[in-house]
Parts: sequence; C-alpha cells; structure tokens
Amino acid sequence: MSFAMAIVENALKMAEEKNLKRIESITVKIGELLLINPEQLKFCYQAASSGTMLEGTELKIEFERAEISCVSCGKKFKTPIYLCDSCGGFVSVQGGKNFVLKKIEARNGI
Amino acid sequence: MHKIEIEAEIDLIAENKRLAEENRKFLKEKGIKAINIMGAIGSGKTLLIEKTLDALGKEIKFGVILGDVVCKADHERIKKYDVKVEPINTGKECHLDAHLVNHVIDVFDDVDLILIENVGNLVCPVDFDLGENYRVTMVSVTEGDDVVGKHPEIFRLSDVIIINKISLAEAVEANIEKMIQDAKKINGRAIVMKMDLKTGEGFEDWINFVRNLVE
Ligand SMILES: Nc1nc2c(ncn2[C@@H]2O[C@H](COP(=O)(O)OP(=O)(O)O)[C@@H](O)[C@H]2O)c(=O)[nH]1
Ligand SMILES: [Mg+2]
Ligand SMILES: [Zn+2]
Ligand SMILES: [Zn+2]
Repeated sequence: MSFAMAIVENALKMAEEKNLKRIESITVKIGELLLINPEQLKFCYQAASSGTMLEGTELKIEFERAEISCVSCGKKFKTPIYLCDSCGGFVSVQGGKNFVLKKIEARNGI
Repeated sequence: MHKIEIEAEIDLIAENKRLAEENRKFLKEKGIKAINIMGAIGSGKTLLIEKTLDALGKEIKFGVILGDVVCKADHERIKKYDVKVEPINTGKECHLDAHLVNHVIDVFDDVDLILIENVGNLVCPVDFDLGENYRVTMVSVTEGDDVVGKHPEIFRLSDVIIINKISLAEAVEANIEKMIQDAKKINGRAIVMKMDLKTGEGFEDWINFVRNLVE
C-alpha cells in the first residue's frame, strides 16, 4: 500500500507541475529483487488513486533487471547466489532494487 | 487534443531512504545501536527479545520497538521489563518502515541498544531500510526446512540468521544442516546461529554477539 501511495502522490505532484489535464497511464519500473507483487500493486494503485484525477488510469509496470555475475570468471546468474558455482568466486549483485516512476501519459488541449 | 508523454525519473523509495538516513544519523550521534529483527509470525522474535532482556538487562540499557499489524500481545509481554518500549501498530502495512520508526526513535536517546521487532513475515520487511545497524532474520524449524531457500532475498540481506526451535527439529522432520547450508549459499558473510530459546541451547552465541555490539 505504501508503494501505491508513493506512486499516486508523486504522479499527482508531477501532473500539477506540468499542468496535465487528462492522464491516461502511469509507468513505473520495479527492481526485480524487490518483493513487490505486481498484481497487488495494481490493486493497491486502484484503491490509492480513487477519488483523485488518477482514478481509472492504467498502471503500467516494467522491470529493472539485476546484474548478477561472478567477479572472477564473469559467469552470469539469474538469481542471487553467494559464491559462483563454476569457480567459487564472489558473485556481485547490482541493481534490481530500485522503484522509479518512469512516465506519465496524458492528453492535453481542446 | 494531443497526447503527451512526460518522462520522469522519480525515485519512489527516496522518502524511505531519507528517513532511514535520518534515523541512522540520530543513532550515530547518540552512540546507539539498533537491530532490526525480522521473521515469520511465531518464529520466536518476541521470546528472543525477552530472553535477551533477561540475560543482559543489567549490563546493557535496552530500548524495544514492537511492530505489529494490530495486536498488543507482544507489548504486554515486554511491558513487564524495566525498559523503554514503543509499540507501532502498522495498520494495513505488513512491515515497518523508516517513517514509522522515525516517529518513536527520539524516545530512546539514552539507551545503548534498540531491539526492533518487525512485523511477522519473511517478505516485504527486507525492502524497507529502517536505519538500523544490523539485520537479523529468525526462522524456526517448524516452518519447514525449505523456508530459507524459499525466501532468498531476506536472508541475502541479513547480517545474522537465526535458526530457532532446534529441539523440535526431529519431531517435524526438519533438516537443520540443510537450513544452514541454504543460508550460507545465499549469504556467506552472515553469522548463522542455531538455537532453541526454550532449552537455551545455542543462545550464548547470540548473547556474545549482542555484548560485542555495544562494547
Ligand atoms: N519449543 C520452542 N518454542 C519456542 C521457541 N521460541 C519461541 N517458541 C514459542 O513459539 C511461540 C511464538 O513465539 P514468539 O516469540 O511470540 O514469536 P514471534 O511471533 O516471532 O514474536 C511462543 O509460544 C514461544 O513460546 C523455541 O526455541 N522452542
Ligand atoms: Mg512477536
Ligand atoms: Zn566464477
Ligand atoms: Zn509489507
């Protein structure tokens, strides 16, 4: 819920700054290692946006991939692991923890 | 009527990051340490706090923050001790965040160590930095010996991993070694402890850890 609220608050602020009249969609990017459930986020977004100018707008979700690779041999992994299963080197995890409001689509004018 | 696209790059976690830094600064200035204790409901977090107060309450000045969705039971348990305790009812939220902790942290300006019990679940608390110094994740063998493997992220980002209720392992056919191996596989730098808070087995490892923190 607090994530959905953050989207709504920031999007409304942006809408006011840019003087947006009719918003159609909001795009957010979720780090794949965050434990946010996209379906739940959409549901919470509906609740959090109701009664605001964002009511009924679409929440589009993109994912930020994490870079997970062995610092010794460079082997890439899909999910985090401490040591590389090929060479025993340390595996570094970069990114995948951000949560960003990327884009607002709106219609303006007559 | 024309379509416009506003490209934004607004960090939606910025507010939590800012408040976590504020909390961290407060702790640092006052020379206080804080431990964020995470884990499922029933894993033994409150009992860990109680036993810690029993064992070290005379030598260390503790503060306790109890996060819970609504229930006041844990607060009743800790109120019996001579420590400052702040319950935080999170309402709809299933985790503590830096903002909630920020509201109560000033109360603890004269303690050595704050024990923070997070809301009981192994999922979202890990996404919210509270400004703590150490993260502890507690699991019990009764949650099944695959519980560590099923929730890698919270164990990856913990400093201490406690496997609790080991005296019940046989009864529930849980393989403690597997749990330890799973923990090490995802996070080889964490301190992994196995213990049983009822029998006291392994508890001294925790006590030594806590003592070292405040020295
Ligand atoms: N047998 C056994 N029971 C435990 C142990 N640790 C906690 N318990 C019990 O498990 C239940 C839940 O403990 P509690 O501290 O309330 O868990 P929390 O929800 O994580 O705060 C209580 O009935 C405790 O007495 C343990 O190591 N062994
Ligand atoms: Mg509890
Ligand atoms: Zn490697
Ligand atoms: Zn939560």
